[in-house]
Amino acid sequence: MVNHTLTPTPFLGGYDQSIGGIRIRERHDLGLISMAIPLGDDAKVKKALKAAYGVAEPSATKSTVKGDVRIIRSAVDQMLMLFPNDAPNPVPDVKSAMKDSVWVTDQSNTWVVLEVSGDTVRDALERLCPIDLHPDTFAKNASARTVMEHMGALIVRTGDNSFLLMSASSSAGSFLHAVETSAKYAS
Amino acid sequence: MSQINRLKGGLVNRGNAMSFTWNGKSMSGFEGDTLASALLANGERLVGRSFKYHRPRGIFSSGAEEPNALVQLRKGAAQEPNTRATVAELFDGLEATSQNHRGPLAWDLMSVTDLMAPFFGAGFYYKTFMWPAKLWEKLYEPAIRASAGLGRLSKKPDPDVYDHGFLHCDLLITGAGPAGLAAAMVAAKAGLRVIIADEDFLPGGRLNAETFEVDGQPGPSWAAAKAAELADMPNVRFMTRTTVYGAFDHGIYGLLERKTDHLAESGGKPRQILWRVYTKRSLLCAGSTERAIAFANNERPGVMLAGAVRDYVNRYGVTPGQKVAVFTNNDDGARTADDLKAQEVDVSAVIDTRKGQYVAEAKGRRGLKAIVLGDGSVVEADCLAVSGGWSPNVHLTCHQRGRPSWNDEIAGFVPGGELPPGMTVAGAANGAMTLGAALASGVAAAKAAVKDLTGKSPRASAPKAGDETYEVQPYWEVPNLKGRAWVDLQNDVTTKDIRLSQKEGFRSVELLKRYSTLGMATDQGKTSNVLGLAVLAEAAGKSIPETGTTIFRPPYTPVPMGAFAGRARGQDFRPVRKTPSHNWAAENGADFVEVGMWLRAQWFKRPGEKGWRDSVDREVEMTRKSVGICDVTTLGKIDIQGRDAAEFLNRIYSNPFLKVPVGKVRYGLMLREDGICYDDGTTARLSENHFVMTTTTANAVLVFRNMEFARQCLWPDLDVHLISTTDGWAQFAVAGPNSRALLSKVVDDLDLSNEGFPFMACSECTVFGGFPARLFRISFSGELAYEIAVPARYGDSMIRGLMKAGEEFDVTPYGTEALGVMRIEKGHAAGNELNGQTTAAMLGLGGMVSKKKDSIGSKLSEREGMNREDDMRLMGFHPVDKADKLDAGAHFLTQGDPEDMAHDQGWMTSVAYSPELGHSIGLGFIKRGKDRVGEVVRAFDPVRGKDTKVVITSAHHIDPEGDRQRG
Amino acid sequence: MIINHPLLGPRDAAEFVYKGDVGLIDRPDGMSDDLDTFHDYAYLRDNPAGEHQELWYHEQGDRSWLVVTRSTLTHEITKVELARDVARARGRSS
Repeated sequence: MVNHTLTPTPFLGGYDQSIGGIRIRERHDLGLISMAIPLGDDAKVKKALKAAYGVAEPSATKSTVKGDVRIIRSAVDQMLMLFPNDAPNPVPDVKSAMKDSVWVTDQSNTWVVLEVSGDTVRDALERLCPIDLHPDTFAKNASARTVMEHMGALIVRTGDNSFLLMSASSSAGSFLHAVETSAKYAS
Repeated sequence: MSQINRLKGGLVNRGNAMSFTWNGKSMSGFEGDTLASALLANGERLVGRSFKYHRPRGIFSSGAEEPNALVQLRKGAAQEPNTRATVAELFDGLEATSQNHRGPLAWDLMSVTDLMAPFFGAGFYYKTFMWPAKLWEKLYEPAIRASAGLGRLSKKPDPDVYDHGFLHCDLLITGAGPAGLAAAMVAAKAGLRVIIADEDFLPGGRLNAETFEVDGQPGPSWAAAKAAELADMPNVRFMTRTTVYGAFDHGIYGLLERKTDHLAESGGKPRQILWRVYTKRSLLCAGSTERAIAFANNERPGVMLAGAVRDYVNRYGVTPGQKVAVFTNNDDGARTADDLKAQEVDVSAVIDTRKGQYVAEAKGRRGLKAIVLGDGSVVEADCLAVSGGWSPNVHLTCHQRGRPSWNDEIAGFVPGGELPPGMTVAGAANGAMTLGAALASGVAAAKAAVKDLTGKSPRASAPKAGDETYEVQPYWEVPNLKGRAWVDLQNDVTTKDIRLSQKEGFRSVELLKRYSTLGMATDQGKTSNVLGLAVLAEAAGKSIPETGTTIFRPPYTPVPMGAFAGRARGQDFRPVRKTPSHNWAAENGADFVEVGMWLRAQWFKRPGEKGWRDSVDREVEMTRKSVGICDVTTLGKIDIQGRDAAEFLNRIYSNPFLKVPVGKVRYGLMLREDGICYDDGTTARLSENHFVMTTTTANAVLVFRNMEFARQCLWPDLDVHLISTTDGWAQFAVAGPNSRALLSKVVDDLDLSNEGFPFMACSECTVFGGFPARLFRISFSGELAYEIAVPARYGDSMIRGLMKAGEEFDVTPYGTEALGVMRIEKGHAAGNELNGQTTAAMLGLGGMVSKKKDSIGSKLSEREGMNREDDMRLMGFHPVDKADKLDAGAHFLTQGDPEDMAHDQGWMTSVAYSPELGHSIGLGFIKRGKDRVGEVVRAFDPVRGKDTKVVITSAHHIDPEGDRQRG
Repeated sequence: MIINHPLLGPRDAAEFVYKGDVGLIDRPDGMSDDLDTFHDYAYLRDNPAGEHQELWYHEQGDRSWLVVTRSTLTHEITKVELARDVARARGRSS
């Protein structure tokens, strides 16, 4: 055995900066788990979700939250769970909590997660996001998968002026650059 | 000479004087001026030369429709040619120059073309440069290129930045004139989300150019008050300096917002923003554009649209001349004279066609001196204000092929036919040519939009204003024309050109446009189209409605390419994907190559290595001799789970997958439905219902898409679920005879012996003392090899750990080049071989297309044409003379055969220098290949001028039996 | 263009990938259908001027395949359905 300890490197090094009054922060403290609903098992999964995390099944356009756990509908028969996690492999815990009712895939390393917040955050996001973020149409906890600067992205509203933005971890640098540029240009 | 034409009043800020230069000469103006108003204030009448004949030209209009006053702004890299002086906002320090002349503006050497005008009529290109043909390249084209074009590009990178953005609204109002403002007030008060955009920096439209009153206030004050009120409302976005340039499908509009064009410095902010605006409804209040009347030399500097003259006088406090004559076919003439007189400008004549009067000719080459009337009398004038009536700005209504219809009452085209869905039109753009009517139609349209969207009828009445008289008599061209009369000033099209085109058979208005170039300049004929149609109609003896009209396409006014490009320039052209070992690789001499969006290490240079081949050869040799490590994260990874996952894969891959044991990897071949191979890879079965598929780097997205199609559309009741984990796992190939020894130092508690973990085994495991990982025993290099994966954010730490573990074996990292060399040595097909023409049989994998099941592509693989005896087969090739270097793309010829396509035997797909064999090797497709091993053929390459003798071998240049990878 | 996704509402067509005629759902059976049937499935399409049912994939979205009814003359979209539902309605199962 060679003496070596595997240590994680956050995709953006734990980036946390404010540009033009908009705070951009890498949320590398979150675990992401995809849960696919087996064909025909919707009711069973709904129950399991409630029992395991006390949270309702999210609709196509709105995530559900309980405490630190957020569930987003990522596809017709798929959900994405965000929760505080630093374990390298959170899959076994989720599987057992959900009593093997869903097909589970770790996505913690597939996405980079940015939290953007500030009074003018929508001014920056309108340079980036084709989704209408007006509070009447994209209220708190609303979620959408879309495309930003040619990169697949997922956006969730977490508050009046705060959002989570997610994109592929391999292009995290380009995604951050796009968000930074939007904040800089819009301020 | 300072601002000799500046009058009293106007909406400019006299407290803020601004200095600028024109062709190097210092001048001054005020905040609120355009370059055009400032030039006129300073007495400049000659501002440019025309496109074709280099005729002297002056400012013709006061807005976006300007055909003449195209100038260059700024200096150096920021220089911008072909800018309309009439919309260029003045700023302190602006440097502007004229364009399209050789030598000084006043003495343009190219004006000789005007003398040769008889040769340059409509279609002169087609007629003149026909013969002799060989003169085209040497004489005609260089000469035309040198004299054509207007401004000049700086040919330096654009120093400004541009941006894009997305906006959403219930109602987009195009134009903040009286109709637009009145409509916006109604819609905004009813709670709609409103965007109102105007290309001008000052809202109000024609209200700022005229002396009308609204609700008892001067027009400009009313407009300013309403604009301020709207801008303060949270549900309104008031966008000045913003052009709605296009109406696209399903209520999407393109807007160009000019953010810093009016500032000396952009301060690092985007100069312009291209907005994509999603609307539920839109209201076009774009106003109307005045047109001219055709008479001899009607484009001399000083001849100007009457509405523009009023604009300069009323809004800017500038008179375009000291002695102004007016020529009109409508009631605007009297208004123009009144406004001039109110500012004590000398009005030398008002010529009204409705009284049988007309202007026959303009005198004065570089600036108007006098006009000759129809009765022969001469009137002194340095400015002639012409009004041939107003044409509604229907442009956006045409962007989805709506065709305007003729309205006799206003003698103009109004929106007709089918408008873009969701669009309505109000104000002058819809033929409501007077102020009261425009306000009322704006309010009515807004009420209709509110009703339509909310179901509620808002109470609102139109602001109060009078209806000025607007009576127009269609009048196009004066009789007994002496000389040339211009229609399209920017493209130098005269009434004679139009008549000639008609005579030559270009009778359709669409053909006329393209032949004569009428309306095809950067102004899209805003001031000229209707006049041109009228002249054509007259020549053809038809009415204007019978003649028809051309329609408009986006953009309404030119949009800089930089704005379309937005941020997508240089490094930001597209996203960059980096592998988890990127930073480590950069520290260790990696040279990176773009593979799609990925950056991959192509080799790792070590001290003393002179060229890439030194590095690549070493990486191959060290890997084959001991052990090498390569980051293969870029391969597509798809997590496949479900009760029917195995059944699903069995239908996706051409070879059987139902019975892959848990803990095993199987190579799979993917066909298109037509039987052509499009991807291959390995799929590991981690548990009964859980597989992990790898795809090629290039096809990861396509394979995922196709599998989603299969699962949703072909077999919707299979329980199978897909999710991409490409980015989730840092995956490293560890290859070479010492790979097992290396991994034994890394992997915890897993029997890596050949019995315990044989070729094509896979397992979830732990590494470095309990850390979760996945191990696969697969080989792309042909050596004993593994791929090991850890969660991506541990990838950097993992490569460092692997390298540390490999120190004692002199481990080498290898890049994509060495990877390529080894796969060619081993005879694995890759992108070069899978070119969209390749069947499984051609790869020697015909046996992998199972006939015992239905999988994608299996049926059409059975076609006769895909199973021919003489079909191509992937083979290896060695040069007969080992010193020869092979080239991909060479075609094979049987020795003694002629060098033609009929005797083509196939082609070389991939080549490499094999360090193991010590010479160049190739892969390629050749007819009946498997029966021809040992035959010497020619690799014929006329493109490179090469003809090399090669011997056909097995595609597996090394270890054809696979002992190494199984050992 | 805008595609009104049945679950997500209106989305810009830039989020989607186009595939083609809805008939691609009606894949013959490779074991029981003959080569000619397969040939027609793979290669023959109608090319109507007017209403067309076509497959779009929400690649930058929820990864659903949709059947969009669109006029090829005006681009007007009159119906958007989940392709999975359409496939089942056309008799496809497992």
